[in-house]
Amino acid sequence: MQERFESLRDIMAMIFGIDKERITPQSAQADITEWDSVGHLNLMLSLEDAFETRLNVDDIPQLVSVEEILRHLEAVCRSR
Amino acid sequence: MKPLRENIEKAIRASSRQELAAALHPRHLPLSLIEVNQLLRRLKEFDEPAQQLTVVAVRSYTTELLKPYWELEAALNGFRLEFHTAPFGVLPPQDGAIQVDLTPDVTYFFLRWEDLDPDFALPIAGLSTAEVKRIVDAARGRLQGMLKFYCQTVPGQVVVTLLPRMSRPELGQYEAMVETSEREVRWALKRQIVRDMREGGLAASFEDLDELTAEVGRGVLFDARMWHTSRYPFSVAGAQALVRRLMTYPLLLKTPRAKVIVLDADNTLWGGIIGEDQLHGIALGPDYPGSAFVAFQRRLLDFQQRGILLALCSKNNLEDVMDVLRNHPHQVLREQHFAGIRVNWEPKVDNLRALAAELNLGLDSFVFLEDSPHECYQVRRHLPEVRVVQTPTVALEIPFCLDDVPALEVLRVTQEDQQRTAMYAQEKRRKQLAVGTQDHGEYLRSLEMAMTVAFDEPAHTPRLAQLTQKTNQFNLTTHRYLEADIRKMIADANWLVADFTLVDLFGDSGIVGVGLVRGMEQPVAEVDTFLLSCRVIGRGAETAFLHAILGDCAARGVKRLRGRYLPTAKNNLVKAFWRQQGFTEVGTDVYELDLEKWQPPESGRPPIRVQVLRSSIGLPLSVSAID
Repeated sequence: MQERFESLRDIMAMIFGIDKERITPQSAQADITEWDSVGHLNLMLSLEDAFETRLNVDDIPQLVSVEEILRHLEAVCRSR
Repeated sequence: MKPLRENIEKAIRASSRQELAAALHPRHLPLSLIEVNQLLRRLKEFDEPAQQLTVVAVRSYTTELLKPYWELEAALNGFRLEFHTAPFGVLPPQDGAIQVDLTPDVTYFFLRWEDLDPDFALPIAGLSTAEVKRIVDAARGRLQGMLKFYCQTVPGQVVVTLLPRMSRPELGQYEAMVETSEREVRWALKRQIVRDMREGGLAASFEDLDELTAEVGRGVLFDARMWHTSRYPFSVAGAQALVRRLMTYPLLLKTPRAKVIVLDADNTLWGGIIGEDQLHGIALGPDYPGSAFVAFQRRLLDFQQRGILLALCSKNNLEDVMDVLRNHPHQVLREQHFAGIRVNWEPKVDNLRALAAELNLGLDSFVFLEDSPHECYQVRRHLPEVRVVQTPTVALEIPFCLDDVPALEVLRVTQEDQQRTAMYAQEKRRKQLAVGTQDHGEYLRSLEMAMTVAFDEPAHTPRLAQLTQKTNQFNLTTHRYLEADIRKMIADANWLVADFTLVDLFGDSGIVGVGLVRGMEQPVAEVDTFLLSCRVIGRGAETAFLHAILGDCAARGVKRLRGRYLPTAKNNLVKAFWRQQGFTEVGTDVYELDLEKWQPPESGRPPIRVQVLRSSIGLPLSVSAID
């Protein structure tokens, strides 16, 4: 879990161009100004690549917090 | 084909921009978005590129997500990118929609067919001919209106794109069988659009995204999730392929263009080594791997059609290589296809320099293809301005190895381009004649040269713009102009736009010189531009051409003519030009000629018969026979 959070944090920091310290397990889209609509789509496309998954179109608007994203990735990995 | 992961890691660890770009070559698609970001992060650690590239997107769909790919392409090519997006859906762009102070190098129109006419959103195949014509005319008129407005408001080149259909054709597999199919209607509009662009004189190009669809496939280009949720059509892979095509335009406008491909012979034009494998032992013919080399040689003729010369540079015995060129049954490229041949045991660096001198071209217009990493390294090190491409070791990849060199693309193809190799061959024969003739004057007379000077000829506009953009050596001021600029000058009575063609014993040069004079309605006029294509240097054409211009200036009442020399790294050749032509230096690199006292000299004129045509009259103004 911690490992997955660290990978996610690295990706978010890179995609949003921000320090990774700004990202906590409690972070959500509303807390990070760089996490705008374009940033969100770029984050989703990067997650697909990093975690070798393809996101469902209905999931994309739901995954707007670190918590939601981790929960989703957890489910993806469990189903493998 | 995905780039090898190890190449990407090598690129991410690279210690310079050049090293990073080299590690990624050949640029197989696609990178993942994470890899794009990793590369961008590395590129930002290097010195910021000195050259700025400003692009604007005018769009009717979301294009913001293209930005990382734009940044990567710009940085890889040594540009600092400034990227502006016009407000969503402002079509045509209106006053205030674009920052007034913006001077983009390129503006991209990202349009959908239905932006040009709403009926493109509806079924097409069942429409009558009259209805189709109405739609095409309406769409064409709307685009012309947008372009005219935009080009008058904002400088730079405009590139128009139309988003391809995301679904299969209206009539399915039967589409190709129908003359009034939707595809045919779209083609009819495309043909009309490019005709308007060619003839309308605006700085606009059409980038056909249907070709992009053919290249990467509909299924790869688009991402339906992005389209339906965000009005952004492209996948990660599709966006990269798109941006790479679009990046070609600023590269062609802002970096030196390739004019010659210098080819190694062994393991590039054929498989194996001619000196060892002998004429019938090399791989070249209908069977693999020889078939890949035949395909590559055929592909090289495509580049020749764009006006790019081919040259041969090989470490071999000359007779061995010539034996293949002349006698191998499957050799596609024969002696006459090469503008220059250097086959010897000298260092390639020396041979490239010699070829540059022989062809009168700068080394920055050279693409050098070579299979030996050692030779590639030497050339990169000693001649950094040469674009070096290493021939792939896998024969199957060789026919495609020059596809990703944007400098080999062209913004326009003129008749001169397609005849360029023949023209260089003529020049070679001229030089051979010169060697056989002792007296240079006698040699020039023996050429039986005839020059046709044209004033203000609108039909020559594309070639004139092209010459101002490409000519570096015999160019007094090196001002670069777009077709739109030239067109304005032709329409302006205060400007004289002159060009010439030269015919001699060996053939017709096409349009090879440009003179632009500003102030034709004033007492003191100034030569804004005076240039000659390198292939006619040394035959007195510059003097004959200048005299034709001086004659017109004098006839139209200009009292004095001013000329300038603006030094560049390449135009040292013409440093003394104005003085040699009898102009007096009146300031640093500024010269004047008193036209009231000037007389066409009786002696010392080059032996060229000159005919002057003025476009508005279309008849010869004067014919002066010499000797």
